[in-house]
Amino acid sequence: MKHESYDQTKWLCDKCQRELELAKVKVRYMEGNFEVDLMKCPTCNQVFIDEALALGKMKEVEEGLEDK
Amino acid sequence: MNLDKLLETGDRCIHKEPPTCTAQCPVHLEIIDFLSEIEKGNFQNAYKLMEKKMPFHHIIGRICDHPCEAPCERSEAGGSIRISELEKAVLEYGVYKPKKIWPLPKNKGKVAIIGGGLSGLTTAVDLDKKGYIVTIFEKTNQLGGRLWDFVGNSLTEAILQQELKAVTDKKMIIHFEETVDKSKLTELLTEYDAVYLGTANWEAPVEVNPVTFQVSDSALFVGGQLLNKTDSVIFSASSGRRAAISIERYLSKVSLTDSRDREGVFETPLQFDISSKEPLPPIEKSAGIYSQEEAIEEAKRCVKCQCRKCIEGCVHMRQFEMSPDAYIRQINHNERIILGTHYANKMINSCAECGLCKEECFLEISMNDVIHETRESMVERGKMPVSAHDFALKDMAFSNSSHFSLVRKQPSKEESKDLFYYPLISFSDYVKGLYKGTGKTEYLFYPGCQLPASYPDDIKSIYEYLVGHVKGDVGIYLGCCGAPADWAGQQGLMMENIEAIKKVWTEMERPTFILACSSCIRIFEKYLPEIKVESLWDIYVREGLPNKDHIKIPQTLSIHDACGTRENSDLHESVRKIVAKLGYGIEELEYSKEKTKCCGYGGLVYYANREQSNAFVNERIGESEHDLLVYCAMCKDLFVSGGKRTYHLLDLIYPKDDGESATRKMPTLSERHRNRSRVKQILLKEIWCEEPIEDVMEENLTLIIPDDVKKNIEDRYILIEDIQAVLKNAEAKNERFCNPDTGEYLARLRRDNVTFWVKYEKEAESFLIKSVYSHRMEILEGMEIAEEQNETRKL
Repeated sequence: MKHESYDQTKWLCDKCQRELELAKVKVRYMEGNFEVDLMKCPTCNQVFIDEALALGKMKEVEEGLEDK
Repeated sequence: MNLDKLLETGDRCIHKEPPTCTAQCPVHLEIIDFLSEIEKGNFQNAYKLMEKKMPFHHIIGRICDHPCEAPCERSEAGGSIRISELEKAVLEYGVYKPKKIWPLPKNKGKVAIIGGGLSGLTTAVDLDKKGYIVTIFEKTNQLGGRLWDFVGNSLTEAILQQELKAVTDKKMIIHFEETVDKSKLTELLTEYDAVYLGTANWEAPVEVNPVTFQVSDSALFVGGQLLNKTDSVIFSASSGRRAAISIERYLSKVSLTDSRDREGVFETPLQFDISSKEPLPPIEKSAGIYSQEEAIEEAKRCVKCQCRKCIEGCVHMRQFEMSPDAYIRQINHNERIILGTHYANKMINSCAECGLCKEECFLEISMNDVIHETRESMVERGKMPVSAHDFALKDMAFSNSSHFSLVRKQPSKEESKDLFYYPLISFSDYVKGLYKGTGKTEYLFYPGCQLPASYPDDIKSIYEYLVGHVKGDVGIYLGCCGAPADWAGQQGLMMENIEAIKKVWTEMERPTFILACSSCIRIFEKYLPEIKVESLWDIYVREGLPNKDHIKIPQTLSIHDACGTRENSDLHESVRKIVAKLGYGIEELEYSKEKTKCCGYGGLVYYANREQSNAFVNERIGESEHDLLVYCAMCKDLFVSGGKRTYHLLDLIYPKDDGESATRKMPTLSERHRNRSRVKQILLKEIWCEEPIEDVMEENLTLIIPDDVKKNIEDRYILIEDIQAVLKNAEAKNERFCNPDTGEYLARLRRDNVTFWVKYEKEAESFLIKSVYSHRMEILEGMEIAEEQNETRKL
């Protein structure tokens, strides 16, 4: 689930004022654990999820797991 | 869940059962398919169907005594379909050259056929095709027997000759002018492996098994006129074919009786209601045989008998193209899966559980009950998708929390003494009611959760009306009856809720509940039969409407009954009486009262499958030219959202001066929360003169939300309180992203099992909301990959 949105490079972590970097992030839903490449703040680890990802691929995976 | 019982229910469904014409046809011509092909002008395909099922179709197709026609359902609406005339037309327009059949090697045993008439020839040809060595004994010098008597306009001598020649060409052994008597028969039975007796007359009576046509357990089988005792040609042919099956089973040493219950003529369990079909008379022939056009027109009269009553009434079954039998097979499969995807989950959660299917069914099969039981089983096994009902269950929890929940006895005489002064004591029914107070709660007004959410300003008026009109003290009880838990299949939660209601009822010394919501009525009937209930609408009829100047615009309304009240005919009448009393005309919908439809909210389909919910809404609002009148808050909400002018009964009883109530937009999900909270505040303050506890629903941040964002918030089941929480967290801890180019912020906060995201701009002291979305997946921020011991998969 690699996700690169068109505008995410413009976003900064407001707390740390750092640019976001693509990194492996752990996500979890029900019995499923995944490693995903997502943009995050290298300092505070805050992970960036945009609307297209949340309502697209993430929702699809959530529904898939719910039907397992 | 008892899956065997489930499958039995599915087997009872008559949707897949054959029509009476096919069941009454001894050779089971697939008549609906046959007529459908003709209707499409595909005479050749129709011909293939005749060829497949009808022995000697060139002969029988012209002389059949058509037992299929008399029971045709069309006979009740214009006249039976002329099936036999259509068969003749198909033989005229659809004949094609048969494929060459390569004969099987003849090594399966020797069979003697006595009698070269229709039944004997059918047995002979069927067995020859299957590889038996067949010998025919015919007493005359030609085959065909009494078929020769039918030669005339339809069956010409040439056609008969040609068909019989095809038999003689098969290289079976045929002994002409050879009479078989009793002693010859004994001889044949030793010489051959099996014997078929197909003569019209026989010298001695024979005892024949009615299923297998076998004579005791011998190698002798009987068919034709001797067996049928009629001169029907189609029965002769059918008995010949069935005897051939018996002979083959006999010689293969397998059971002669297994699964033969539907051979020959049988009673189909199918029931069909033709009453809604317009009568159409049969198409007359302009010549000896139907022209192609006439045949097509005649075939079009076929109503294709199939029981679809429940499907016709249910947009859910139609959306998923399911009949109950097929639906139940899918549920069975879904329940049995151990590893793999439960593909039927979405379908199971798209039923409104409204119960119309059972009302429509001849056999009272209730898909509602089946689906409800399935949902309970899914919850029990941990297989219910959380997202389907999560919002509704949280909404229920809200209603049963201190934000809304409230139980109070009627204010006592002592507490109300300040109101007992003239003119109030003479003119206010409410004050008079308080003055008569006894301290014993006879009634408990339970308005439910959705009515107060939609009509927050009317709850106090209704309460005051009740105190002023019913005999005995009236208390109030605010909360949710548990309908969402019931619909979601959450039995545990449901029972907990029921116990809580029972506890209040007992503590209040068992008062009668006054219910205003149709879902509450259904839940109380189902789970709390010991509690006596009355509907608010029945009380209005009995005690008279509140003294108000009702707006009387002479207008005709169509009443949409709430599906939860399906079996409550007294309630239906009360609602109609109120509407009539208020001066409105009523035009009943086709589906009303016990046959009403769901608005699209029932069964929580509104949350589980919005597309399906919209289909319910659109179908229902399309059924009425007039404005609709409903008495359930959710029906009103959905119909108005669908663009239909709809009144709630309360709009008429307590008219507002704020414009057109039939088009008034109903509150959003967030406003519904706030309204419930407000109802509690109003009641506490204005009826019980209590200072309400702090308003926990207060919004401290000022939000500016454009309309398109508002719609998304609603469609995505996000509450303003979620947005407030995200913003407060972001502002307090700087936990957010910023976009230097646009000046926008993006912040997130996990609340319970959902992460909410808000994109916003700050404008002075307020927040301009740009977008809001959520996901359920949990992001494990800051957790080192190596720390996690769980199995990790690449997505």
